[in-house]
Amino acid sequence: MAVPEFLSTAELLKQGAEARVYRAQFLGKPAIVKERFPKRYRHSVLDEKLTHRRTVQEVRSILRCRKAGIPAPVVYFVDYTSNCIFMEEILRSTTVRDHIVGAQQSDAGNDVELRLLAQRVGQTLAKMHDEDVIHGDLTTSNMLLRRGPQDKESELVLIDFGLSYISALPEDKGVDLYVLEKAFLSTHPNTELVFEELLKSYAASSKRSPAVIKKLEEVRLRGRKRSMVG
Amino acid sequence: MHLTQELELFPDVRVTQLLFKEVKNAAELRQSAVDGKINGALINPTMLVDPFQVLVAANKAVCFQKNGKMKTRALSSEIIFNLSPTNKISDAFKRFGISDGDDCVMVVVVQDKSETPCFDDIVSKVDGCQIPVKDISLLSDHMKIKKLYKVTPQEEKCGTLLDAVVSRMATKDVL
Ligand SMILES: Nc1ncnc2c1ncn2[C@@H]1O[C@H](COP(=O)(O)O)[C@@H](O)[C@H]1O
Repeated sequence: MAVPEFLSTAELLKQGAEARVYRAQFLGKPAIVKERFPKRYRHSVLDEKLTHRRTVQEVRSILRCRKAGIPAPVVYFVDYTSNCIFMEEILRSTTVRDHIVGAQQSDAGNDVELRLLAQRVGQTLAKMHDEDVIHGDLTTSNMLLRRGPQDKESELVLIDFGLSYISALPEDKGVDLYVLEKAFLSTHPNTELVFEELLKSYAASSKRSPAVIKKLEEVRLRGRKRSMVG
Repeated sequence: MHLTQELELFPDVRVTQLLFKEVKNAAELRQSAVDGKINGALINPTMLVDPFQVLVAANKAVCFQKNGKMKTRALSSEIIFNLSPTNKISDAFKRFGISDGDDCVMVVVVQDKSETPCFDDIVSKVDGCQIPVKDISLLSDHMKIKKLYKVTPQEEKCGTLLDAVVSRMATKDVL
């Protein structure tokens, strides 16, 4: 049982409901290890199958994105026995979330910058959906901005494909955007215009976007009705 | 000249890489490996981008060996198998193993910490010139590598060739 021993010495970054995220050296490089652990309340055979499938889906989606030129962490090693993914640590990076919070705190002129960022996110997500990758958990914490060398503009890197899957359905893509919209507007108050910019650039970047945006609007309505009833 | 790395997951295991050019006895070396007289994997270095690629293959081989999940019969064959983007063992040997006419070779040795590291035996068996492992990029054939791993220009926009190669090696069992 080499991996559990190794993880016991690694730095724990995040303890989630389904997974733990660690930082460690791997083959001499700075790496992030994502460990999916068994959930006691689920039947153990079923649980093992689900955990394994999530791990497989995560690495498949990462690879699919990278092949299409969408930045995501390089996968170094997958241990299917302990359901651990060893991947590149995105160095010199901040989450889009922290970036927006920072920009909103300091005033003056950041509006333009935030809109540019929103456009970039929109373009990247359009590209991802054109590859039929549904992220499943889009939030501004699951997007990193990696600073480039010197004045080169920073690069947007998508992370945490733990709930991702492959689908061509506009409905799935619409829900993906709806999840982001909810998370975005609740994490970052007064960003309605910024988010609108994101959707505009999404729509402009993908030929298949009209059907997705239509679904997004439908899902919004459903969400509203549900919240009026409940 | 050689490069030794301890595997973090298996702190008792060390992987050493030795690189040779102007090799004149590739056929003989290959035969010694087949007969089990060389304790190491003999790899065609033109298919390697970086020593890290070898470490990724070796780490996975050691892990699968401990779990009893190896696809081949020996650790050195497993390292060669892991370098390949496909799951066909014969393809892996053809592309990543050495051939009789080759004039350069990478030797990968996996040892236990308790063994005294000694590579004189290997160095004496190779009729060639040992060069620093970090010079591997001088021998790699990028065109051939891109073609075999099917690396597209758009993928190279979001990372290096090494990134593309390593991602495929790491995920090939589930694609
Ligand atoms: N590949 C990575 N490189 C750098 N930081 C990461 C990486 N993956 C995750 N993180 C950090 O760990 C946190 C939790 O990861 P996750 O559960 O995958 O969202 C993220 O919000 C990031 O700050």
